[in-house]
Amino acid sequence: MDTGDLIRRLSDDVPPVRRNAVGRRLAIGLLLGALVSAVCALLLLGIRPDLMLAMRGISFWMKWGYTISLTVIAFVLAVQLARPDSNMLRWRWLLVVPVVPLAAMGAIELSRVPTSHWLHMLLGHSWASCPWHVLLLAIPIFVGLLWSFRRLAPTRLRAAGAAAGLAAGAFSATIYCLHCPEVSAVFVLTWYSLGIVLASALGALVGPRLLRW
Amino acid sequence: MRANEEALRELMVAGLGGDAAAHAALLGVLVPLLRGFYRRRASGSDDDIEDLVQETLIAVHVRRATYDPGRAFTAWLFAIARYKMIDHFRRGRRLRPIEGLEELLVAEDFESVAAARIDVDDLLETLPAKQAGLIRATRIDGLSVAASATAGGFGESDVKVSVHRGLKALAARIQGRA
Repeated sequence: MDTGDLIRRLSDDVPPVRRNAVGRRLAIGLLLGALVSAVCALLLLGIRPDLMLAMRGISFWMKWGYTISLTVIAFVLAVQLARPDSNMLRWRWLLVVPVVPLAAMGAIELSRVPTSHWLHMLLGHSWASCPWHVLLLAIPIFVGLLWSFRRLAPTRLRAAGAAAGLAAGAFSATIYCLHCPEVSAVFVLTWYSLGIVLASALGALVGPRLLRW
Repeated sequence: MRANEEALRELMVAGLGGDAAAHAALLGVLVPLLRGFYRRRASGSDDDIEDLVQETLIAVHVRRATYDPGRAFTAWLFAIARYKMIDHFRRGRRLRPIEGLEELLVAEDFESVAAARIDVDDLLETLPAKQAGLIRATRIDGLSVAASATAGGFGESDVKVSVHRGLKALAARIQGRA
């Protein structure tokens, strides 16, 4: 096709673009995916029966504080990586911020109980399933983010995939909190993080293939 | 129309506001820019270069929401252009890179040129408008002293003195800053 014709055809359709369109689009993908994840969690895992009671306690908010702040930071990174000129990735270091207070809480918890309890605190009742649940619930969210990226322009596909996987994993862990009755910070730090890291690694693995445009 | 950062950015921002004419004008101005960009970096037939140019125009159009008006337009544009080119090479299409692919990934003269241009703009803004305008005309746009004198309605010696004083002030400022 003649380049002039192409330009005329493209210029037929020039809708106004809202400010923060990138963030908006990513947020829509994230939330649509999360909706699917939440339904899956509800149907397959069920919500913990004492949720209302747990929401008055500190350990529930410790878990949400960790997973929600990780989601926000991963989201901010994904927004940057969705632009083509993303050479300067800012605020990457913020990722340590949610980890530090959780690790401190874990250390305090461990110091208060005899060493014989440590293994139990670390493994809880559900260590073997927790990371996998987080990973599985992350998949619909990751798919939602893939949809968002279809109109965006990532040029560092592996990094963008990792950031999307991280956001998906962290938000999936947020949903998983509605089911999971574990209370210890060490448990969350280990098994939640493992699920989130797996989701991020998976994102980095498939990013170059799936985010291509 | 001259394709400089400011002009391109204005067209882009107007296009993002829904101005179809500005958007069409922008895409039109980008064509020679992109042809030049790819010609310098890829060897192949004109048709293949043109395919890549068109693919890039489509990407600029479809993904225009990813431009942040607070940042340099040319950096955004050439990031897309470079991505499209590397993708083209990777898929093993007909065009061949002139330099090594690794160098393409690292060095990007267009971006440094754009950045330098912004530095110059910042510096010139510190000068009186007349001196800044004449320095731009004679030293950046490459007009002759006589041509800039006629264009601005000044005398030739006036132009020379203004440029000289302006450059001296700039030199002092840069040395003071360093």
